[in-house]
Amino acid sequence: MYLQPEIIVITTAFAVLGMEMFLPPRHRPWQTPVTLLGLAIGLAAVVDLMIRGEGEFLNGQFRFDGVTGWFKISFLSAGLLTVLLSADLLGGRIKAVPGRDRGLLYRGEFYTVMLFNLVGAMFLISATNLVNLYVCLELATIPLYLMVAWRRGDPLSSEAGMKYSILGATSTGALLFGLGLLYGLTGSVDLLTMGEQLSFGPATKLAIAMVIVGIGFKLTLVPFHMWAADVYRGAPLPVTAYLSVASKAAGLAFMFQLFYRVLGNGLADVSMALAVLAAVTMTLGNVVAVVQTNIKRFMAFSAISQAGYLIMGFLDRSGAPSMVYYMLVYVVTNMLVFGVIGFYLNETGREQIEDYRGLARTNPLVALAMMLGLFSLAGIPPLSGFVGKFFLFSVASKAGFHWLVAVAAINSTISLYYYLRIVRQMYIEPGFEDDPPIRPSRSIVTAMGLSTVLMIVLGIVPFFYETIYEQSRQWMAGAF
Amino acid sequence: MSWLSLLILIPLATALGVVVTPESKWYARRWIALWGTGIVLALSFVMSATYMQAVQQRAGDASLLTVSKMEFEHAVPWFSSMGIEYHVGVDGISMAMIVLTAIIIFTGVLASWDVKERSREFFAFLLVLVTGVFGVFISVDLFLFFVFYEVAVLPMYLLIGVWGTGRKEYSAMKLTLMLMVGSAFVLVGLLALYHAAGAATFDLNKLAMVDYSADLQSWVFPCVFVGFGVLGALFPFHTWSPDGHASAPTAVSMLHAGVLMKLGGYGVLRVAVYLMPEGAKQWALFFLVLTTINIVYGAYAAIKQTDLKYFTAYSSVSHCGFVLFGLCSLNLMGFKGAVIQMFSHGIMTGLFFGLIGMVYGRSKTRDLTKMGGLSRRMPWLATSFYIGGLASLGLPGLSGFVAESTVFLGGFFGNRWVDSSTMRVCTLLATSSIVVTAVYVLRGLARVFQGKISNPQFNQLDDATVAEKLCTGILVATLAIVGMYPPVLIDLIEHAIVPIVNRF
Repeated sequence: MYLQPEIIVITTAFAVLGMEMFLPPRHRPWQTPVTLLGLAIGLAAVVDLMIRGEGEFLNGQFRFDGVTGWFKISFLSAGLLTVLLSADLLGGRIKAVPGRDRGLLYRGEFYTVMLFNLVGAMFLISATNLVNLYVCLELATIPLYLMVAWRRGDPLSSEAGMKYSILGATSTGALLFGLGLLYGLTGSVDLLTMGEQLSFGPATKLAIAMVIVGIGFKLTLVPFHMWAADVYRGAPLPVTAYLSVASKAAGLAFMFQLFYRVLGNGLADVSMALAVLAAVTMTLGNVVAVVQTNIKRFMAFSAISQAGYLIMGFLDRSGAPSMVYYMLVYVVTNMLVFGVIGFYLNETGREQIEDYRGLARTNPLVALAMMLGLFSLAGIPPLSGFVGKFFLFSVASKAGFHWLVAVAAINSTISLYYYLRIVRQMYIEPGFEDDPPIRPSRSIVTAMGLSTVLMIVLGIVPFFYETIYEQSRQWMAGAF
Repeated sequence: MSWLSLLILIPLATALGVVVTPESKWYARRWIALWGTGIVLALSFVMSATYMQAVQQRAGDASLLTVSKMEFEHAVPWFSSMGIEYHVGVDGISMAMIVLTAIIIFTGVLASWDVKERSREFFAFLLVLVTGVFGVFISVDLFLFFVFYEVAVLPMYLLIGVWGTGRKEYSAMKLTLMLMVGSAFVLVGLLALYHAAGAATFDLNKLAMVDYSADLQSWVFPCVFVGFGVLGALFPFHTWSPDGHASAPTAVSMLHAGVLMKLGGYGVLRVAVYLMPEGAKQWALFFLVLTTINIVYGAYAAIKQTDLKYFTAYSSVSHCGFVLFGLCSLNLMGFKGAVIQMFSHGIMTGLFFGLIGMVYGRSKTRDLTKMGGLSRRMPWLATSFYIGGLASLGLPGLSGFVAESTVFLGGFFGNRWVDSSTMRVCTLLATSSIVVTAVYVLRGLARVFQGKISNPQFNQLDDATVAEKLCTGILVATLAIVGMYPPVLIDLIEHAIVPIVNRF
């Protein structure tokens, strides 16, 4: 049996829901440690399964192996860090309440919805069948609509939820059309059988295009990125943080399933299109990020450009480990940056870039963590963001796309410019008059400390990448 | 563990020591920094002595004529699926650069003896930067090289942005971005070389054994040359340098102009020229012309400057041009001259920027037109300034002469791939810059130090403190030692240059 992690997470979800129903309100804060514990045990279960090796369950409908294990680790860490980040908001331990609804209500439901979403993503990477795959993708998407619109009283949040669900539904339509075509072309719903049956004709190309539309939405590839800025801005911050990594990881998982298992043999034919898509995505994301003044919108465009780097991994068959590794790095790094943003927003209500001025004087450690996180996003060694980007660039270079490597490397410089804008505010500009130092709460400190350490360790200790590399090699051998 | 790893571990440990020093004992930080860099300095001397012994022992070994032999080598697998290793080692060129770096950072700490504002971050960033520089010079693995290269560039942003003067945010951003665009080009080149070799290794000497096709070299070479050239102030990518140096605090200018700009020349020699001789032959003429413009343009631009720091920065652009000029001549003399010039200019410009900081700290102005007669009040600083100035215009007996004459000889000898008359015209033009240098150096110095005291406030100024005397004394002594007895440097680097030249 290879379902332990999923079962643990679902059990946690129902346990939290039960606590919401049966516990008096003053005991409900216990839901947070229960969720954390559930996610931690889930992580331990994944690691345990990975040590024991790979295998199948339910007549091969559910597959567990190294790569799926790493994806599940990414999902669960994203969930774990989100719970830590949202603890202050859910507990009402925030100082800044200017007018509109800034807190988060319904602790139990929030965790339940998030855990369901996580389970969807976890099943997604393990599914071996088109129908399961699609259903899991929906489960990994629809709860997000709810989470984005969680603040009912806040028009920005509702607007974001509305935008997200309408655009999401449209892109799902396109995706479903593509999947239907693939089924029609191959007559099978088993992913590997489909891959064997598939021949490349105009209909296949149409199907691939439709699939890319659907995935492009989840991964925020240009031109399907339109929702990102408004949704990132409108959603409650922990949701934005979760969305930025979990949705992207789920999109990548879906892409892994389809691209490697079904389209594996034709990947070389679409590489030029993917390269152009990557170049456009990273360039637009970076250029537009330069002019942003709100830090959440800013992070949205930064996330778009990161997606551009990410899909460079599909240009060559050797790219799977680089993408899995980068996803892991991206999860911890982005959660770190969002942790600082959320902390600052909760304590001061400030979310403009220029509001960060003087942070290095009032809170040197928080500013240092933020700087390291931003440098990792920009790809500065020896942080893991650099190592991840280096491997992705190497994939493109191996496939002969030297121009793309140049575009990507120059884009990294542009991104450094806007990340440095924040560093400048924190370190160079004089701070606000008589701003007292702010003490982060214990959950925020844990989240920041954990992600900072992981971010540095992932880049220096070769164990993680080497393990991912070895396991993806086996996985790829099974995929073709 | 290799001795070399100490060169990066000691600065890092020192940085850590600086960070944990409590705020009430800020004066302890400079002592910690001084001790740390002092140990590194001593270590670098011991290591170069050991290196020289090793070189003498294997004198006459014919196999060493084509492959660089590294000393103190040490390799640990890192990302082994990509063939990336923590592989360190030094040859004569890197050894000379390590000694240079150690001298400059030691004197740089002395020059920042009075930094009180946020001294914790200042010394910490400074030491991280030096860690990066040492790391570049000891790396044999190109991935490691690149990692340290960026580590060396980035702290500069904050060092200039926080502790700088004038238009510091603008200069800091301009400098960082231009250097990062340069490193982007280097990255493209490195990855192309790695995959073209197909040997799954970033080891410099293993990559050097690969025969790259002329097509590949013809586009990768300019990519890497320009990429590193940005840091080496290659015309027209030098524009970050005057702004950056003018805005940076004293120790940072010293370190940046003295050492960091040398990373550019070092990278060009190590990666571009060493790995891609064919590309170098094809592009020698093009870059020769650019570097000639570098030399001449920098010198003429320096004449017009009235700010002491801009003045020195443009003179740096001109002198760094000599480094790249020497590399473009593709012969033993030229390469040797380039490396000597890296060392000599590093010390010289370190001295200049250190002195400017000291003078500025007293007179509160860097405007040449407002200064005058300062030698009456500060004879020590004036004398050191004169010695540095004379070295920069190539007076025999100081290191500048050795370096520049070797570069010019190299240029004049020329090579088989560039038309010899073009080569000689370029060399003549470059030589003419010496005259221009003499004009601006002597005129500038005379204005600052000679004549009557222009401002009554200058009458209250004092001469150098003990720390400042030690700082300038070390640098002046180094200039004189290399100038009087050049073999001390040439013997060190020659064995490392021969294998590179023999590839042509």
